[in-house]
Amino acid sequence: MSILSIRDLKVNYHTQDGTVRAVDGVSLDLDESQRLGLIGESGCGKTTLLKAIVQVLPRNGHIVSGEIKFKGMDLLKLPPAEMRQLRWREIATIPQASMDSLNPVQRVGSQLMKLLRVRGGYTKKAARKRAVDLFDVVGLDTERLMHYPHEFSGGMKQRAVIAMALALEPSLLIADEPVTALDVIVQHQILEVLRRLERELNLTVMLITHDISVVAQVCDSVSVMYAGRIVEEAKAEPFFASPAHPYSLGLQQAFPNLASPRDVLVSIEGYPPDLREPPAGCRFAERCPFVQETCHEIDPQLEVVGDGRMAACLRSNEMDDLRARAEDPTLWQNVEVTRLVGQPPTKSTDAGRGEPLGRPTITTHDEQADQPLADPCNVPLAVGNGRADLLLEMNDVSKRFKIGGGLAGLLRGDKEQTVYAVNNISFTLRRGESLGLAGESGCGKSTTGKLLVKLIDASDGQIVFDGADLSSVDDKELLGFRSRVQLMFQNPFEALNPRFTLYRSLTEPLIIHGWKDENERLQRVVETLDRVNLRPAEVFLDKYPHQLSGGQLQRVVLARALVLHPDFLVADEPVSMLDVSVRAGILNTTRRLARELGLATVYISHDLSLLQYTCDRIAIMYLGEIVEIGPSNEVINKPQHPYTQALIAAVPVPDPTIENPPLRIREGVPRPTEQFIGCPFAQRCPEVMEACLNVRPPFIADEQGHQAQCHLYGEHHNSPKLHREAEAAR
Amino acid sequence: MQQEASARGEPAGVATMQFRQGSAIRQLWETNLEVFQRDRMALFGLCIFAVFAIVAIFAPQIAPNNPLTPLKNNEGDWIKDAMPYWLAEPGEDEAEGYTNTFLLGTTNIGRDIYSQLIHGSRSALLVGFSAAAAVAVIGTVVGLLAGYYGGWVDAILMRAADVAFGIPFIPFIIVVSAFLDPSIWNVVVAMAVLLWRDTGRVIRSQVLVIKEQAFVSAARVSGASNLRIIFVYIAPSILPLSFLYGSFAIAWAILTEASVSFLGFSDPETISWGFMLQDAFNSLALSREAFYWIVPPGLCIMLTVMAGFFIGRGYEEVLFPRLRRM
Repeated sequence: MSILSIRDLKVNYHTQDGTVRAVDGVSLDLDESQRLGLIGESGCGKTTLLKAIVQVLPRNGHIVSGEIKFKGMDLLKLPPAEMRQLRWREIATIPQASMDSLNPVQRVGSQLMKLLRVRGGYTKKAARKRAVDLFDVVGLDTERLMHYPHEFSGGMKQRAVIAMALALEPSLLIADEPVTALDVIVQHQILEVLRRLERELNLTVMLITHDISVVAQVCDSVSVMYAGRIVEEAKAEPFFASPAHPYSLGLQQAFPNLASPRDVLVSIEGYPPDLREPPAGCRFAERCPFVQETCHEIDPQLEVVGDGRMAACLRSNEMDDLRARAEDPTLWQNVEVTRLVGQPPTKSTDAGRGEPLGRPTITTHDEQADQPLADPCNVPLAVGNGRADLLLEMNDVSKRFKIGGGLAGLLRGDKEQTVYAVNNISFTLRRGESLGLAGESGCGKSTTGKLLVKLIDASDGQIVFDGADLSSVDDKELLGFRSRVQLMFQNPFEALNPRFTLYRSLTEPLIIHGWKDENERLQRVVETLDRVNLRPAEVFLDKYPHQLSGGQLQRVVLARALVLHPDFLVADEPVSMLDVSVRAGILNTTRRLARELGLATVYISHDLSLLQYTCDRIAIMYLGEIVEIGPSNEVINKPQHPYTQALIAAVPVPDPTIENPPLRIREGVPRPTEQFIGCPFAQRCPEVMEACLNVRPPFIADEQGHQAQCHLYGEHHNSPKLHREAEAAR
Repeated sequence: MQQEASARGEPAGVATMQFRQGSAIRQLWETNLEVFQRDRMALFGLCIFAVFAIVAIFAPQIAPNNPLTPLKNNEGDWIKDAMPYWLAEPGEDEAEGYTNTFLLGTTNIGRDIYSQLIHGSRSALLVGFSAAAAVAVIGTVVGLLAGYYGGWVDAILMRAADVAFGIPFIPFIIVVSAFLDPSIWNVVVAMAVLLWRDTGRVIRSQVLVIKEQAFVSAARVSGASNLRIIFVYIAPSILPLSFLYGSFAIAWAILTEASVSFLGFSDPETISWGFMLQDAFNSLALSREAFYWIVPPGLCIMLTVMAGFFIGRGYEEVLFPRLRRM
């Protein structure tokens, strides 16, 4: 029996610029103990749907028509008081960014007990007992019941929020992006908690996410949303085996997969239609590589396409053929949308007349397209070979920050603390080579990036760029260095000055480096925009950043980095803020240009599959140190260090038939204010030995240049093992 | 125009050159324009200022008499305490030997109140705008330097702001007036010395936010110098905030000048609205119910102060859109 049934739901937002049809005719059924994953890119209406179900839409949001039935009750006709009773008791939600939903001035346990007593009618004593049980269930230390939220780590807060959602034994749990923004190891453990609870409590779950591998790990059925509609509905296994909608096909191929890496990831160019004026035909038509004439005219409805599967595509009868064709990544690159954000596509199909700005144009790429590269990851590397093409050398570089000092700290009597952000790291980079830096947040990878571009100076050690020691360059040499080294930022919405036109932003570096001639500058800017596939470049010159989508903006950021033709690029989480559908496009372009321009690149990312896709070598960082470094495939397929092994095991597999194995390591990185005599990872290491606590492990290399800093492979490998319990008690 | 050009197939370079002419100044102008287009109150405030500005500029032409010279009747006596002509008993003026043409009557030593009011707008606007400019400029520069450089620069400037916060304002002006010759500029100097503190603090906090944004790091990585980053990248973003505090400062300055004059620390040779009020107060105008002497300068002070706050509100709404709901 279905517990939740939604029929033809329509939700509008009234804004200054018109009515946005955020959810436009969604029907959905959720059976008891079903676990549904709702996938879609940002702005497709997932969260609005959630808010409509629990009726917490913002003031400008209105349910226009449709029906939401929960256990036979029509939620839209329910009086507010009864609806209030239903929330949390029957329908519990884990909101987006839920870690911030704990009240910072109340103890976590008090919040939980207050909820139990006020909403659940528990007595004081019973509430306490139940709170302890709940902490146990979600894997929290019950001694932490009376701690404040700021004393919890991100993962612990997330567990506490799950405990609160489950406190009143709801029949339906709706989780909105429950693991987004968590580190991969924490993410793995939260997913494990969710999976366990599903089984033990026989929960009905609706999980909203953009990450298909999370869905594969937790859900048994999938709905794909696109532009306010559901475009595909299926059980998890057939969905992952053979998607039945072109958008799902694209999404699936856009995802890097550690287990079976693709040569080229697919990028679904463009972005969803303007929901103020949705197109008459199929909403995906503008971005679909299989588009036909009729797609622009007929609006496809969800139809049964097979055993319990539904898809909204006019060509669903040819899907087997399309699926085979979709394997070819070049197919997806032939679609290019230059429409700007906020401009509705022109409806007429008559081509040939003067092309107004913002009209979607379909251009076919020539030889500049992001073609698959021949085996990008298997470039053989030899350590210490070819010093002539050595570009950059890090020798025992450290960076320390002092916190709690200064005049104010002095007056308050705060003790100054030292944060060891980067500790004695060394590596080399050759011209044209790409290196990935990976690790949990706080491991020092971004600090390393800043050191590399000299945004900050090293406390110790030596950074040598093309023969010059960066600590002793004068102003003139520094300016020269600045023209050769560039940085690409995580958040494209912040990386460009909102008050500058794109031309101004791109021409600034040229002005700074003394390009006097305006025409030469313009020519270089246009040429660079063209290089990053923003075409025709002239359209973009006088636009402001807010007129572009995230993917287009990140291309502009890339263009600005490349406009001076640098030798070295540091890309700090270049795609983590972008939708999955456009990530691959940025990565492919960056990778192609790095080859074309002979650019050495350092990618910083928490996402190992992404680094495997883009980098020749990968370095794993932990607490400011590099613990393992080597050729990408070696590191991913034969991880040596226990930390690397844990990181790789924690990456969710986008395949519902494979369940991630449980991890043997605890979550939570220690504060980087400590210095260790032995191995910094010893505290969390499942293989910890006596030697690890007292002796710093050396780097041990094999002949491929794959090195790990671990006693397991050195002279101390016979050191007696320590039991984790003993370690925890220390 | 550029898209038309490319549609016609003209070379891109020619057309695209046009869009960036004076773009920074144009954008600032557009921000200011937006304030007054969006907010009728701000526009109203601007109109008030405009009217007073015209009056101030053409004061000698508008005012019928010299505001400082006592007017005399045919016998050479001062025309003391004349009522406005629309209030006076008909024929009274002829009996006293003068023609009553005074819109607002005369003071107790025979000065024309209407002419004083007209000339008073000069000192009000002079003090208002120069003090506002001083406060906005000093506050902006202090905020930019303290926020951008941080460390000791920040510590020194912000501790100086703490000191400025600790000094009571009106007593400070009285002390300044005691040391310097009486002049309306005392108010300007005192405001410049003390009131940059609010502007400086607020702008510093905004700079702290902006300088952490990636586009500032991007500029640094591209090799931009500190001065270029401060004035090309950060300053344009905080300029509306300077205008906001500037427009509030106009109101404050006029109010302060009136207070100081009322307390009797102003230059007796310069007519201001506060001076008029003090004059009226001292000559017991209140007890004689000479509202035509007291109300007009009070009304003028109120209008200019209101105008300053209306404009400030307009900037606030553009800067902090959330206020609009309230």
